[in-house]
Amino acid sequence: MKEENGGWSPYLAGALSGVVGVLSVWVAGQYFGASTSFVRTAGMIEQLFGPERVAQMSYFVKVAPKIDWQWMFMVGIFLGAMIAALTSKSFRLQLLPDMWVARFGDRSGTRRAMTAFVGGAIAMFGARLADG
Amino acid sequence: MKMLVYGLVTGLLFGFLLQKGRVLRYDKQLGALRLQDMTIVKFMLSSVIVGMIGVYFLYDFGLVKLSIKATILGPVILGALIFGVGWGLLGYCPGTSMGALGEGRLDALWGILGMIAGAALFAEAYPFLLQTVYTWGDLGRITLPQVLGINHWFLIPVFVVAALLLFRWLEKKGL
Repeated sequence: MKEENGGWSPYLAGALSGVVGVLSVWVAGQYFGASTSFVRTAGMIEQLFGPERVAQMSYFVKVAPKIDWQWMFMVGIFLGAMIAALTSKSFRLQLLPDMWVARFGDRSGTRRAMTAFVGGAIAMFGARLADG
Repeated sequence: MKMLVYGLVTGLLFGFLLQKGRVLRYDKQLGALRLQDMTIVKFMLSSVIVGMIGVYFLYDFGLVKLSIKATILGPVILGALIFGVGWGLLGYCPGTSMGALGEGRLDALWGILGMIAGAALFAEAYPFLLQTVYTWGDLGRITLPQVLGINHWFLIPVFVVAALLLFRWLEKKGL
């Protein structure tokens, strides 16, 4: 099931990812998640500056700043995507997405950086609030 | 240590499939939010359908545990609205940002740094939120089968058929 852009059908890739998810729950007892790892990372960075303060913060007590299954899952996503991209010639070093350039032009690097950073901060706050 | 290896291998497989499904790109994520390209919806729903059937099948044989989070209306509704604003600005979600970086989309890095900052901010706000938003509409750890009082195998086919009808409609519309 090849798509014209060289990728797989999203139905096939999605269904296979569902199989991976089921196996993960079966074998490791782990459901997929991502946003908790950003909390752990924030905690690990803050520990460099003030370990006592981190140890007292209720959220870092609840979500301990350490490398766990999900943190390694995130590393795996990075590497897995890289392998898939490099082996199918679809790896592309790109600072600005095509759709962004179509709207804001190709000299909007600072604007993109600011938007992505602020958007990321807002998205993560919301994701954690909803426990997603 | 074993768990860390499981995590890495699972991530490798998932990241590989995310990239093959072409769902990591900003253009695909914004395409869905702008109702122009539903690739990520097809990927996600396909994954959910397979996951739902597989997990409940194993659950019936006592092989897996469900992981049911509490349904608290305040933080879920507010959090979802806030997440949506951020997702629309960033164009990657927490999991796909790592994959997007892996396929060379360097702007995902700004988003990852922003998400770490957002997580730090949330940790600061948590004690306050716990006394306010988290007390609004706590329904406990509920599931649809439990609320409706029926076996999950009556609901699963309904979701499967609904997803298939949606897929058919999306294909007809060329989305």
